[in-house]
Amino acid sequence: MIQLVLVAHVVGLVGAAVAGRFTMRAGLLVAAIAPALSFAWAITELVGSGLAGPESPARFEFAWVERLDLRFVFLADSFALLAVAIVSGIGALVFVYASGYFSPTAAAGTRFPVFLLAFSTSMLGLVLAESVWTLFFFWEMTSVTSFLLVGHAHTNTSVQDAARRALMITGGGGLALLAGLLLLARETGSSLLSELEVVSGTSGTVAAILVLVGVATKSAQVPFHVWLPGAMAAPTPVSAYLHSATMVKAGIILMAVTGSAFADSSAWKIVGFTLGSLSMIWGGIGALRHRDAKLILAWGTISQLGLLVTLLALGTGKAVFAAVSIVVAHALFKATLFLVVGEIDIRTGTREIDELGGLYKTMPLATAAAVLAGLSMAGAPPLLGFVAKEAAIEASLELAGTERVLALLVLIGGSVLTVAYTTRFLWTVFGPGPATVVKARRWAMTVPASVLALSGLVGYVLLGSVNDVIIPASTELNADAFKYELIAWPGLKDAFVISMAILVVGIGLGAALSRSQRVAPEPLGASGVDRGLDGVLSVARRATARVQHGSLPVYLAIMALTVSLAATPFFFDVSLDGLVWWDHPLQMMLALALAASAFAGAFVDSRLGAALTLGAVGIAAAGLFVVQGAPDLALTQLLVETIIVVGFVVGLGHLGRSFPRAQVGWQAVRISISVMGGLAVMAGLIATSAHRTASAPIGEIVEQAVDEGGGNNVVNVILTDLRALDTLGEVVVLATVAIGILALARARDGSQDHDSDVEVVT
Amino acid sequence: MIASRSPVARVAIRAASPLAIMVGVYLLFAGHNQPGGGFAAGLVFGAVLALRTVAGLQRPTHATGLIAGGVAVICATAVLTLIWGDSLLDQQIVEWTVPVLGKVKSGTALPFDIGVTTVVMGLVIALLDGLGAAAMAESPAPTQPPASTQPPASTQTKGEVSS
Repeated sequence: MIQLVLVAHVVGLVGAAVAGRFTMRAGLLVAAIAPALSFAWAITELVGSGLAGPESPARFEFAWVERLDLRFVFLADSFALLAVAIVSGIGALVFVYASGYFSPTAAAGTRFPVFLLAFSTSMLGLVLAESVWTLFFFWEMTSVTSFLLVGHAHTNTSVQDAARRALMITGGGGLALLAGLLLLARETGSSLLSELEVVSGTSGTVAAILVLVGVATKSAQVPFHVWLPGAMAAPTPVSAYLHSATMVKAGIILMAVTGSAFADSSAWKIVGFTLGSLSMIWGGIGALRHRDAKLILAWGTISQLGLLVTLLALGTGKAVFAAVSIVVAHALFKATLFLVVGEIDIRTGTREIDELGGLYKTMPLATAAAVLAGLSMAGAPPLLGFVAKEAAIEASLELAGTERVLALLVLIGGSVLTVAYTTRFLWTVFGPGPATVVKARRWAMTVPASVLALSGLVGYVLLGSVNDVIIPASTELNADAFKYELIAWPGLKDAFVISMAILVVGIGLGAALSRSQRVAPEPLGASGVDRGLDGVLSVARRATARVQHGSLPVYLAIMALTVSLAATPFFFDVSLDGLVWWDHPLQMMLALALAASAFAGAFVDSRLGAALTLGAVGIAAAGLFVVQGAPDLALTQLLVETIIVVGFVVGLGHLGRSFPRAQVGWQAVRISISVMGGLAVMAGLIATSAHRTASAPIGEIVEQAVDEGGGNNVVNVILTDLRALDTLGEVVVLATVAIGILALARARDGSQDHDSDVEVVT
Repeated sequence: MIASRSPVARVAIRAASPLAIMVGVYLLFAGHNQPGGGFAAGLVFGAVLALRTVAGLQRPTHATGLIAGGVAVICATAVLTLIWGDSLLDQQIVEWTVPVLGKVKSGTALPFDIGVTTVVMGLVIALLDGLGAAAMAESPAPTQPPASTQPPASTQTKGEVSS
């Protein structure tokens, strides 16, 4: 079944690419089909399997690199199915939403639908992954596709910065994750997630920290959270999908599935708890300080993800159970809120909460959806967010000692902030006030948001069915979790009292802060990341300017100097005993002619004279080849000389008649380097020819050439048959060189139009 | 401009080019048994094309197509011999009798060599183009002062500045 789902997604990619050529809307709607099918599959499996989970979960694997034992392994256990349902269900709705988000008159576009579906597919692969390598592959795929999606408006420089920042941070975290997974797989002896064993000791600690760095970068935990607010530069459907329900949850999913391996690790617990708590509090504060509705939600996401990381770091059965419940509830309400904000953005033209108000009159449906989702986020009954938050509070109450105090403090503090920013958001945007003027409703945007908002309520009403899904899924992660269930109305217990108190305090705080008009702060770390990146680039630019300054004589001098230094060992190896001075007197004469022309070339003043002497050198060399019995070489040499003459004919037209005067000192340097280079080549040749240990396999090759190659010109048979693969490589090199030359020539032609493309540094 | 300045060069190039092309074709086919081969043939063809372009006898050729085509031919040969024979680039020899020529022996080395020729031609043209051959051919007639035929000097002479 898994292969069918994957194939459906690949077909969907092609379909979206084709349909997008007509209109972007068509592309998006075609792209929605594959996620809808996966959602249907996951829900059928989940409902059909009941509390025990699927009896024999679908499994699919194929080899990628057989010799490395690298395989793609997918397994649809109940946790994976739940994640598929979230990813695909919200995905399908977001595609429909996006078809309304982009104006109906928008030009045809294949890029957006294809990238979004490619992201959806990567996410599907990630949640279904059963081997750590499969997981890593799709993890990186999500980073790349999300980079492309965040950078949708790629002509805008601030969008470029945001996309680049997201890629640098999540990509860098991916490297840490890779190291962590390598350690984990080595210690466990298997790369399959279901076979992970508890890893302890130093390698366990190191692996735990590395994996947590991966989690923190992807799930935007403090201090790696700086990319997430910037990523709000993406179109809102992307934010709703990537930055609420899916990509940022990849870190949570990773933490959930590898958590069993780190059950004993105190580093996992302490680092995870610290990261999560800091993010939860800092995210909540950030959400209260910002005035852009989308940024408020983004900072809220950081806070919620912090809560999830905290719970998973605690790692008890109840905590894991609560985390899974919150994953579901959060995906539903946060996606809804993003979708509503996108609709507001499109219909009013702003996202600043100061400019908005009274939307309950003009956008009643959106207001209803936002209030439902907001209440769920705040943890108010009767909604899914409420029961999930109850479970989290109960999980912390169950702990003992310092852990209990700390967990409760963080949870209560974070929740109060959550309620406060929710109140502030709902009140300032939808609450009483002069109503903002809005454009006409677009149903494609309203319906997905309403469906998602209602699902939070429906989930509460049908809590039994939700339990049937969440209990097996969390049991998959922690065997203790089967003991717990979500309770619709717990009665007057400790947890309930605490959550009611949180609501009251939070609403008070939020109401107080909604009137404040402070300026939103600059993002703290983001500029630091950007400065670091710019610093690296400017160092690179300066280094390039130093090394590649464009002076040909200096390049040549450096090359000759390097060669002569590299050849130094040969000087000690030169012996003149075995040297044959010449086989034929003609060789001596040719050599003298060659040397004379070379000397003349060094002293001649005019460019044309230099060209002529170089030609003489080449022809004398060709003569030497003929005498030596290498007609092929001589022929090629002569032809190359011809080409060079043509080159001079063309090139000399651009240059003056004679060489510019060099300074005396520089001339001395040049002469000494040339002499050194010449001596080095000579010494190298003499030394190497004296060290031949075996005779050349010439007889063998000649035989082979005639028998297998069917030719009498051995050189050519070697080139086209015996060593054809080498020739193939050389041809590719030649082609690359030619393309490079063309690009340079073209850059020069166009340099007057766009100077910035060609940076000529002198 | 060379052409209009030097009719001798123009006539000589025009007269020599068919001969040079014949030499190139000969080199290409003879290469298997005698001196020559795809590389040499490519140099000859490239030189002919470049000279004709400089002399204004024909429009500048685009190197990109030649390079791409050559690489494509070579890769196709490589893959086809893999399917046809046992390994990548395994030479296959074909013999057949043609009415006038008699027995002809050839092999997959020929298309391979043709690919090499094409790429080398492309390289030569790209090189000379990079030196400004095309600009030279298209530059204005000699009624204008010769100085104007010099392209912007700054980028051209950069390599000469030695400090």
